[in-house]
Amino acid sequence: MKKILVLILALTMMVGVASAELKVAFSQIGQESDWRTANTDDVKKAIVDAGWELIYDDAQQKQENQVKALRNFITQGVDYIVFTAIVTTGWDDVLAEVKEAEIPLILIDRLPETSFGNDDWYTCYFGGDFPFEGYKAGMWVKNYFESIGHKGDINIVRLSGTTGSDPQIGRTKGFDEVVAANPNMKIVYDQTGNFTRAEGQAVMEAALKAVPKIDVLWAENDDMALGAIEAIKAAGKVPGKDIIIIGCDAVKAAFEAIVAGEMNATSECTPLMGARVVEVIKGLEAGQTFDKVVHPVEYVYDMNGGIVIDDDGNVSLKAADHINERLY
Amino acid sequence: MMRKRMKLDTERITKSKLFWAIVAELLILLVCLIIRPDFFSISYQPSSGMLYGSLIDILNRSSEITIIAMGMMLVIATAGTDLSVGSLVAVSGALALRLMRWDLDLYPTPGDWSITPLYLVIAASLGACLLMGSFNGLLVSRWNMQPIIATLILMVAGRGIAQVITGGKQMTTMFSPFKFIAHGSFLYLPMPVIITAAVILVIYLSTRRTAFGLFIESVGVNRSASRVSGLNARRIIMTVYMISGFLAGISGLIYSSRIISNDSNNAGQGYEMDAILAVVIGGGNMAGGKFNIAGTVMGSLIIRTIITFVYYFGVAAEAIMVFKAMIIAVVIILQSEPIRRMLEKRSRMRRSIQGGALHE
Repeated sequence: MKKILVLILALTMMVGVASAELKVAFSQIGQESDWRTANTDDVKKAIVDAGWELIYDDAQQKQENQVKALRNFITQGVDYIVFTAIVTTGWDDVLAEVKEAEIPLILIDRLPETSFGNDDWYTCYFGGDFPFEGYKAGMWVKNYFESIGHKGDINIVRLSGTTGSDPQIGRTKGFDEVVAANPNMKIVYDQTGNFTRAEGQAVMEAALKAVPKIDVLWAENDDMALGAIEAIKAAGKVPGKDIIIIGCDAVKAAFEAIVAGEMNATSECTPLMGARVVEVIKGLEAGQTFDKVVHPVEYVYDMNGGIVIDDDGNVSLKAADHINERLY
Repeated sequence: MMRKRMKLDTERITKSKLFWAIVAELLILLVCLIIRPDFFSISYQPSSGMLYGSLIDILNRSSEITIIAMGMMLVIATAGTDLSVGSLVAVSGALALRLMRWDLDLYPTPGDWSITPLYLVIAASLGACLLMGSFNGLLVSRWNMQPIIATLILMVAGRGIAQVITGGKQMTTMFSPFKFIAHGSFLYLPMPVIITAAVILVIYLSTRRTAFGLFIESVGVNRSASRVSGLNARRIIMTVYMISGFLAGISGLIYSSRIISNDSNNAGQGYEMDAILAVVIGGGNMAGGKFNIAGTVMGSLIIRTIITFVYYFGVAAEAIMVFKAMIIAVVIILQSEPIRRMLEKRSRMRRSIQGGALHE
């Protein structure tokens, strides 16, 4: 009986080898938001659609789970590892093992820091440019107020993300650059809303009472902006008119709010990274090399489009034209 | 004679834990008054038909915790704890949004409509939470599981259940009757304040105007003794966990109505701790045996006043934790037996000195 089992096992293993299918492993940090869900679904789907074998691991927000998953991938002899790091540091040991096993490492969304002193340990990185997202939001505000012929100060309330998180640091820095270059743009209230709707709403409620005049609400993600809209209505002001609202991420709910006229704009941060992952793996198989760090092309979507959002003269897109493409 | 009674009364007042909770709240408000008197301005907002101001915000936004704390208070009085309430908030909201918008694929854009009538949405959410509350009650009362362990199960599983209900999505609704739960008004006050007042009233009437409250406390003091003296301890424990679950459901509906959406990850995050804090500030004892409704309400108001204070004055929000810890530490230390005995001794000494009877 045992022998038969061994035989069957050996046969299946041979079949497995014989199919010569690429094994692509993906270690995701967990499911903390809609954005993350869209990101996971897109990458998983792209790998499966390419006809490769997907080995997926959900780390449930724990670094030790991710370390374990990476070691499992090495033992299983996968061909590629796609990796989103939950925290920035503490990966040296396991990433050295990955390098030793000569498995190409494709980083998405987050770029961890190591003490290797070079960047040979990963093949390439693909993810959002957070400072640039904040910068584009700032430029949109500046140019929008120019386009409506606004003179004088622009009083801005900022709802920032979870303090110390990558997107919060990046987006704050980018937006601050524009503020520093334009003395009429003034941040009159600055508080964290922890990236959630409920806190965005409670903080905005307080801001509306503490600050006499607010022209713009800049929320470092769409959820906080969506929460704040209700607080603005409760204060007897018209969101989108009395207070101009710009969010970040460009999720479907924000598109709906923009089309409904309750929100003005949103600076995109795309979770759709599957296509790039597949492109890189196909290229590597064909012997190509890739730039170490690549950012996705991202836009700003607003009510009417046509507002300049960067130094190259690119303009914002009209949300209503793109709402149906949004899946997340 | 008259003088003596008055003296006794002041002594009883300073002894009561509620007194110190009120003092703490007034102190925070005094600081607000000194920094910016306009913190206290209240005006009428015609567009929403209710009063508008920071004090109203405190009342309004403390609702979720106050309602949960009412259930927590009864659970703690039986010498238990209910850690699952935060997760039940998420489940209640997830279920409500799911029922209102179950054919999301057909109508992806939120509109002023619901697939399910509102009363069914409310009944289902509250029913589910009542059911989960009875699950907790069953584990604690029948199978004698430790309350922290028993309720930890749903605390962990609850968010998973919420994710499964909504398929991991965050849905938005514009259905105005549902929005009314948190954004509507009655008697110039936000609906959550009215709902909270109703909950407090019902809890007060059912515990302090009947023997039920006494039963709960007696189970908390000594479960076996109360059973021997003829109380059905199991049923009483079962009931308090069911109440706690049900109230978490109400809180969840208010939360999701505020953001007209569900948020399985963040809804009710940390509410169990805030509710326990409110109860403890209000004079509850984790060892069970007593509860104080007014004190618990005060505890919840203190917590929300701190948060509103931090937001209003633009203090870094990370400071909320520090402020909370500081104020709570002070209140609880003032309430503790040894400190109170020490203070009492001092005042008695001073009084006897004033009375010229040092060698009494």
